[in-house]
Amino acid sequence: MSTATLASTSSPPAASAGPKKGKSLQREALDRLLKNKSAVVSGVVILFVCLVGALAPVLAPYPFDEQFLDRVLIPPSSQHWLGTDSLGRDMLSRLIYGARISMAVGVITAVISLLIGTFYGAISGWFGGWADSVMMRSVDILDSIPSIVLLILVKLVFDAFDVIGNPELKALTGMLLALSLTSWVSLARVVRGQVLQVKQMSYVEAARSMGASGTRVVSQHIMPNIMGPVIVLLTFQIPSNILYESFLSFLGLGLQPPFSSWGVLANDGWRSLQSYPHLMISPGVAIFVAMLAFNLLGDGLRDAFDPQMRGR
Amino acid sequence: MITRVWGLSVAILFATVVLLSFFAYEIPTALWWLFSIVAFGGTAVFVFQQGMTFYVIRRLFEAAFAVLVIATLTFILLRVLPGGPFDSDKALPPEVMANLAAKYNLDAPLFQQYLDYIGGLLRGDLGQSYKYISRDITSIISESLPNSIQLGVYALLVSYLIGIPMGVFAGWKPNSAVDVSCMTFAISGIALPSFLVAPIFILIFVKTLGWFEPALWEGPAYYVLPMLVLGIRPAAVIARLTRASVLEVIHSDYIRTAKAKGLAARTILFKHVLRNSLIPVLSLSGPLAAAILTGSFVIEQIFAIPGVAKHLVLSVSNRDYPLILGATLVFSLFLIVANLITDILTAIVDPRVKMS
Amino acid sequence: MKRILLILSTILFAAACTKKNSSKLEYGLDLNETLRINLETEPPSLDWSKSTDTTSSLVEMNIMEGLVGYNLSDRDLGSAPALATEWKPSDKGRIWTFTLRSGVKWTDGVEFTGQHVIDGWERLLNPATASEYAYFLFPVKGARDYNGGKLKDFSKVGIKLNDQKQLVVELEKPMGYFPMLLTHHSTYPIRKDVVEKHGDRWTEPGNIVTLGAYKLKVWDHDRAMVLERNDDYYGEKAKIKNILGYMITEYSTALNLMEGGKLDFQRTLPFKELPKYRGFPGYRATPLISMYYYGLNTRKPPFNDLKVRKAFSMAVDRKQVTDLLAAGHAPLTSWVPSGMFGYENDIGTKFDAAAAAKLLDEAGFKDRSKFPRVRLAFNTNENHQRVAENVQAQLKKNLGIEIQIENEEWKVYLKRLQNDTPNIYRMGWLGDYPDPATFMELMTSYSENNHTGWGNKSYDQLVAEGASSLDKDKRRQIYSEAQRILTEQDVPVIPIYSTVGHLLLSERVQNFPNNSIEHYALKGVTLK
Repeated sequence: MSTATLASTSSPPAASAGPKKGKSLQREALDRLLKNKSAVVSGVVILFVCLVGALAPVLAPYPFDEQFLDRVLIPPSSQHWLGTDSLGRDMLSRLIYGARISMAVGVITAVISLLIGTFYGAISGWFGGWADSVMMRSVDILDSIPSIVLLILVKLVFDAFDVIGNPELKALTGMLLALSLTSWVSLARVVRGQVLQVKQMSYVEAARSMGASGTRVVSQHIMPNIMGPVIVLLTFQIPSNILYESFLSFLGLGLQPPFSSWGVLANDGWRSLQSYPHLMISPGVAIFVAMLAFNLLGDGLRDAFDPQMRGR
Repeated sequence: MITRVWGLSVAILFATVVLLSFFAYEIPTALWWLFSIVAFGGTAVFVFQQGMTFYVIRRLFEAAFAVLVIATLTFILLRVLPGGPFDSDKALPPEVMANLAAKYNLDAPLFQQYLDYIGGLLRGDLGQSYKYISRDITSIISESLPNSIQLGVYALLVSYLIGIPMGVFAGWKPNSAVDVSCMTFAISGIALPSFLVAPIFILIFVKTLGWFEPALWEGPAYYVLPMLVLGIRPAAVIARLTRASVLEVIHSDYIRTAKAKGLAARTILFKHVLRNSLIPVLSLSGPLAAAILTGSFVIEQIFAIPGVAKHLVLSVSNRDYPLILGATLVFSLFLIVANLITDILTAIVDPRVKMS
Repeated sequence: MKRILLILSTILFAAACTKKNSSKLEYGLDLNETLRINLETEPPSLDWSKSTDTTSSLVEMNIMEGLVGYNLSDRDLGSAPALATEWKPSDKGRIWTFTLRSGVKWTDGVEFTGQHVIDGWERLLNPATASEYAYFLFPVKGARDYNGGKLKDFSKVGIKLNDQKQLVVELEKPMGYFPMLLTHHSTYPIRKDVVEKHGDRWTEPGNIVTLGAYKLKVWDHDRAMVLERNDDYYGEKAKIKNILGYMITEYSTALNLMEGGKLDFQRTLPFKELPKYRGFPGYRATPLISMYYYGLNTRKPPFNDLKVRKAFSMAVDRKQVTDLLAAGHAPLTSWVPSGMFGYENDIGTKFDAAAAAKLLDEAGFKDRSKFPRVRLAFNTNENHQRVAENVQAQLKKNLGIEIQIENEEWKVYLKRLQNDTPNIYRMGWLGDYPDPATFMELMTSYSENNHTGWGNKSYDQLVAEGASSLDKDKRRQIYSEAQRILTEQDVPVIPIYSTVGHLLLSERVQNFPNNSIEHYALKGVTLK
């Protein structure tokens, strides 16, 4: 603890930071992040939502799929705090379970696309030259396909070929894969750019001239240094995934029971804003808050990792 | 100087065209021609002057190649997807099925069908729709595309007209009340899916205030809501980007120098800050166009706008292969061209950018 | 700068002179004489030999007519004279002679003749036309061979004109309800010369030639369509001068327009808000000739066992399903839907949870954990979802069996029904014409739409008899016997409900034709 604090205070400007200083750089970033009020509040909100999702079976007042056929579409009451849906299911319970799925979709998709993007971008940036230009041209082409087409087709194809052999999870895996496959491109670009930049730095050059293997240099020296921008991008990727998930629900390609997400709930409700506002308002507010929190946290992280932005 | 006059006249002509179309006036053909000649001719001259001709030609070749690759990819994905265009809940007798397959060349080997499609594509023939029986894909798209472009351009303009001023004011006085409220808007603007924004807007502006029409596409009362709902997300993105960009510029040395010289704040803002901070915003136009295209399906659907995005989505469930392919290719080409134009514009505005 | 502004204002001024004079949305129509309907989608085609969807047929039935029409005042929807004034069977219903109406004119002034009917049928059956509905005329002698390319000479197909301007149709075998097929748009007459002259664009306004109560005036693709009264129509002229059809797919949008007084007719209503719309004066509900069922794959265990099939059918309380949907659908245990000839509600297995559980015990599944994993599949749709979830819950409660439900995108689902039929599959059937034969044929052993793998010779026999019979009472008897085999004796299907259709009219619409086949001929509609 004390050494780390010492190191951070005595560290030279970031530009000449070596691999060891990378850690203190991250510590410094964390300190800056903790000073950013909105980012901290957002972080707390996100933790809260994740916790709610994780503890769904404990927190939910009713099972999410229990149908109270005598209490269909009732507005919020003391019995059902957020009312019931058209099958007489408790909206609060559905929302709580929805948090689980929405967060899982957002995070897992971001992680998958991160893995693909990092792998692709690192290879492209590291090898450079001919391989790099082919890989980047392919990414350009992929980027100029309207993502809506790619999303729909990939989702339908994965849905049709139950890849993991479990019909209940089919729609969910299709969703995860479709979203990941359409969102890794920007991550790949960022990682490549960072790799190119770091590759030029003196300590990496030194490590290479000392005969360190490519894999070693990439994993030991380059990866830790590009973590900052990547984490920022990841934080922005999650809300965009949550949004795309709801978009797929709108297209009728959303998740299927037993799973339901906020997107599914919102799509269930938007048409009857006037007659049954509670169907749209609660998932709408949930999506809104989560998106807000992720974006503010992302802003905070970006500022924290980019010292030049400090104080602005 | 000449670039400036040219830029201004393109802007004015563009504004005229947009305003006329917005207020549902007939746009004179002569005006179209004037606009096209001035805009594209001027761009061509600029490209030539700057020695970018080779670059642009190379980009165009790349675009053609990209379209071919996209056609192939989409073709494969479509054919991997189970279910054919003429499968229905009322199964057809084999005779009928055979006739349909023969008519639409679906009985040929798949690779042959692919070659035939690409061959048609090279001749500029996108084929005939299966669902809209006997209609050319070209005519289906050319009838619906103008509406989509209209919607897209309005939304893009809305996003610039709202986003840039907000970003500038927020960045000019960081952490002020203006900044906080602008950024609150910006962050809320990206926090809701448009299919939730649309019903809220309809409830407020149509049902309560009665200002606009709830659907269809003819005249200002019909255009306002869709373009707002579609433009609000990009507007928020632009506002944030502009703010960051303005912040960066006002901390730069030459602005400090200008301030030290005692130039009026207004002069600094308009002469230096605005110009320099808009370059990154301009370069975002390509990705923004893509985002607007993606979002346009929801808007077209909710506001019953006869655009092309619905063909992308609904034709998939009909397995109307030629129509999906056609619409996808048109959209892709659009994105590629939008990116190219953005790059050229950036080069015009910012002399520091050199194209290789 | 000033100069540029000057130029701009000049341009604006010049343009102002050419402002569109009227709102294009209403096409300059007098709204007091215009019925505004929602077609919901762009009609895929007005080529009545080729179109297969309800939007197109809604337009086609208003601009065209066939040999036979419907008697809309008859509850069972009998046939009524149209382009044929009368018809009679001979050779026990194998040969039908239609007397053609004279003095009927097409919209271009040409007189209607029997040759136009023959031309229409030739076009429908011609392999090069590749019409999906060609099979409508397969009962006609030689038609199937001609469509399949085995018969090249159309004159060998069983349709002739005789001297008395009568059309004589020879069928493969006797068919009591043949005239009913001729109500369908695919069998309408056609003007070969017009089709040849304009090619694929013959259905555009200005090219298209029709003879119905309305004619096509404007077709603004993906936006709207305008039909105008045909003043040369042979029958009673249409009451309203214009029909303006919008193409609004999103029903909540259409209902918003309706609320704002901009629409007079909407077909799709959200089930969630039905309670609200029921209170509207313009709300109409009609039983349709359409039903909803679950098919059981009898090829594979456990549904190769009759006792299991019966147990499942008895364990589903249909009323609970229809109550849940709250759309007014009628619980159905027999096969022919309510609201049409042949419906008998006492046929079929009645809900009895205890008896169902006992049957399952007898089938050797006293230990329910030994029951194989069963999948219930349906195509992705909110309503199907609700039914499936409810049936899943009912089976769990009444039989103690946990089934898995899964959904597929529509076309993927259809492929799967053919290749790998799920244990339980959802399907519905909408009759093309109001005769029970269309429902009974569905489950014959040779039907392409029977995915259950079940076939029963005596059932097939009864269906064939019913089709050829000309005696209504005898047919009713035959069909009730066949329905008992299907839903009580062998139980390869679990009928769930017969469908009720909903529509909403604005308050000014009167005399709207409401019927079980959604035949919305608008010529009799009036506006207040």
